[in-house]
Amino acid sequence: MLFNSYEFIFLFLPITYFIYFYLNKKHLTEASKAFMVFASLFFYSWWNIKYLPLILISMIFNYSLGRELVNPKKLKTISKKTLLWIGIAFNLGLLGYFKYMDFFIANINRLTGSEFKLLHLALPLAISFYTFQQIAYLVDSYRGETKEYDFLNYAVFVTFFPQLIAGPIVHHKEMMPQFAKTKNKVIRLENIAVGLFIFFMGLFKKVVIADTFATWATQGFDVAKNLNMLEAWSASLSYTFQLYFDFSGYTDMAIGLALLFNIKLPTNFLSPYKATSIQDFWRRWHITLSHFLRDYIYIPLGGNRKGEIRTYINLFITFLLGGLWHGAGWTFVFWGTLHGLALIIHRAWQKLKIKLPLILAWFLTFNFINIAWVFFRAKSFDDALKVLKGMFTGDFILPNSWSHLFGSLKSSLHFGEWSKLYANESYMGLWLLIAFIIVVAMPNSMEWKDRFKTNFFYLILTLFFALSLFMLYKKSEFLYFNF
Amino acid sequence: MKAKTYLRILFGTLVLLFALAVGYVYYFIEHYPPPFTNRISLDAKLKYIRNNIDVNKIDTFIVGSSIGLNNVIGSILEKESKCVKHAVNLSVYEATTLEAEQLMQLTKTFPNLKRIIYSAQYSDLPHPWRYENFDANTYIGYMNHTLSWWRLLKFYFKACNNLLFCYERSQKWENKHMQPDKFTSLLFDHTCSVPLKIYKQKGVGGRWYLPHPPIMHIESFRAIARMAKSAKEHGIYFYVAHQPYRPELYKKHKSVRDGIAYFDQKVTEAIKEYNGTLIKLQNLPLNNSHFADRTHLNDRGSAISTKAVAKAIDNREKEK
Repeated sequence: MLFNSYEFIFLFLPITYFIYFYLNKKHLTEASKAFMVFASLFFYSWWNIKYLPLILISMIFNYSLGRELVNPKKLKTISKKTLLWIGIAFNLGLLGYFKYMDFFIANINRLTGSEFKLLHLALPLAISFYTFQQIAYLVDSYRGETKEYDFLNYAVFVTFFPQLIAGPIVHHKEMMPQFAKTKNKVIRLENIAVGLFIFFMGLFKKVVIADTFATWATQGFDVAKNLNMLEAWSASLSYTFQLYFDFSGYTDMAIGLALLFNIKLPTNFLSPYKATSIQDFWRRWHITLSHFLRDYIYIPLGGNRKGEIRTYINLFITFLLGGLWHGAGWTFVFWGTLHGLALIIHRAWQKLKIKLPLILAWFLTFNFINIAWVFFRAKSFDDALKVLKGMFTGDFILPNSWSHLFGSLKSSLHFGEWSKLYANESYMGLWLLIAFIIVVAMPNSMEWKDRFKTNFFYLILTLFFALSLFMLYKKSEFLYFNF
Repeated sequence: MKAKTYLRILFGTLVLLFALAVGYVYYFIEHYPPPFTNRISLDAKLKYIRNNIDVNKIDTFIVGSSIGLNNVIGSILEKESKCVKHAVNLSVYEATTLEAEQLMQLTKTFPNLKRIIYSAQYSDLPHPWRYENFDANTYIGYMNHTLSWWRLLKFYFKACNNLLFCYERSQKWENKHMQPDKFTSLLFDHTCSVPLKIYKQKGVGGRWYLPHPPIMHIESFRAIARMAKSAKEHGIYFYVAHQPYRPELYKKHKSVRDGIAYFDQKVTEAIKEYNGTLIKLQNLPLNNSHFADRTHLNDRGSAISTKAVAKAIDNREKEK
């Protein structure tokens, strides 16, 4: 079920909400949790019930293992460390089988000339997210940082529907205590007000902004055979904005929904396109993934504690794996590699203690991110190169109607039909400009959330965002459902 | 303000907005064809048939692209033919032959059907395209009033959930579709045919003097064979009315003559086995004053063409 669907907004959400709080009102706390798990699994199964057993098995296995890791006294025949590795291997095995098996087979076939058949497995929804969440739980159990939660609490932590499909990647430490708090079991009107504000803002970002850019990005990346310079930049910027508004919109909706149930989900985006360095970008983009990569890959690899060269290697490996996490394809690996290299260069640059002017730093960062997204979006290297070729060596054709603006320079410029691809998209330039202003100059949704007050201004703003309810007919999936 | 007041106003306004939206949709459905499909001419027909036609009386079903819509006029057919009593024209703008085959599924709406006329020109056949999400059963239920209220509500909801699109349609409706001198006209006679009142070649441009390339997809002929077969299985006469090309272009361009000859040959082969009838209309006494463009007849031309179709039907059915 999609957050941006009628069945979710008008049926699933209100029914779940009222039953959950009704059970809590009747002091049936355990029943309310059980109901939340049931509702979340129903929400999950709406797409394809076939993968319900998978998430259940994964949950039961990880919970049981976590319990063993928390109670080392019970362990007799097997060491705690071995048990942890079994757990990690199980989770990565599951993820590897469903997400990377065909990629692996295709590469083996390419390298050896063999003809192993591809499995064509459909990627179980949310597997990348719930696998990471549970690996973190196992590692923390091993470190002795978890408490003994019962299975119901654990199941709520893993399946809680606002975050189940595409994050934010939550940590048991920040989630489980919230479900246990008595004051979170009653309806809180302030949370409903702010929750709805953030939810509708996210909905607006998705259905109005992201879906508009999606059409243009698709035309540029998937439809066009060649792109001139303006078309290529329009396509790449369209995707850059689409991805941000789509994913941050989804996260806002998740945060807003969780707030309706008095649960605070972690922040996932903090104006990433305002970043003035690549390090800064990763502190603002998909923050919960960055934290996971830092805490469970970078630091265990040694972080920055083993000398400068090892730090570079650790950074590189972390981002290479980060790229691979996003998808089973060489374009994703290459995207991760680019970010890994950029972080190494940034770190080396910091050693020089030369500070770039802020605007130049922002300009370089934004353009690097925009160019790197080309590999992230393209279905193949050929598609990526097509867009990059257009961006840097494509014909530079300005619209005929602009010719009078250039005076004597007119003769040295090329005027004509600036785009065959986007010729009918008369508002494209305006959309790009507005999106640019939003991401660079406006407060982000978390800042809006912190400023929120139940006054007339926010009421009007909420209603404005809520108008996107009338645009749900598009019903497109969120990009991060694929990762 | 207090959160409780804030939420009361918020939900109150949202409820009001939804009530207004429902009200608008009701108004829209009453006055304009709801966008059930991605073809406005089909939408308009579904609604017209539901509201105005007694499906039990219909004995003649006309199908095709705008060549069927504009060139065979149901009301004239009813007058001129001894066999045709009540006709309905379910031709849809730009329908390919495979799409016409899909439209033929809607014949189930009319239990007393005796004949089907597929009106076409070779220019209708180059692409093997089909309608996506063509929900024949729902369309049939809608036309003959057998949809349950719940399915009807769902049908309207699905059609009208893009309010902006509905609004745009309502804004364009009068100027674009209610003018008999435009190719986009949906000014139906009582059988859903549209006689065009376009008499001057001026403003039509390339549509007047550029001939279609004689490209036809083999799958289109297979579709015609399947249509003929299906008609035979149901004991229904099947006619292919091959509409005339503007005579000047026919004389001037070999490609047009070849296209027409090829069409006739392939259609004859396709329908022969199923007792279908090909009605060749190229040699009718027509001139430029009968044409709206190279293939679309205006009301003067379509009257002549329809009379010829009526005569062919009477001759064929008298044989029995």
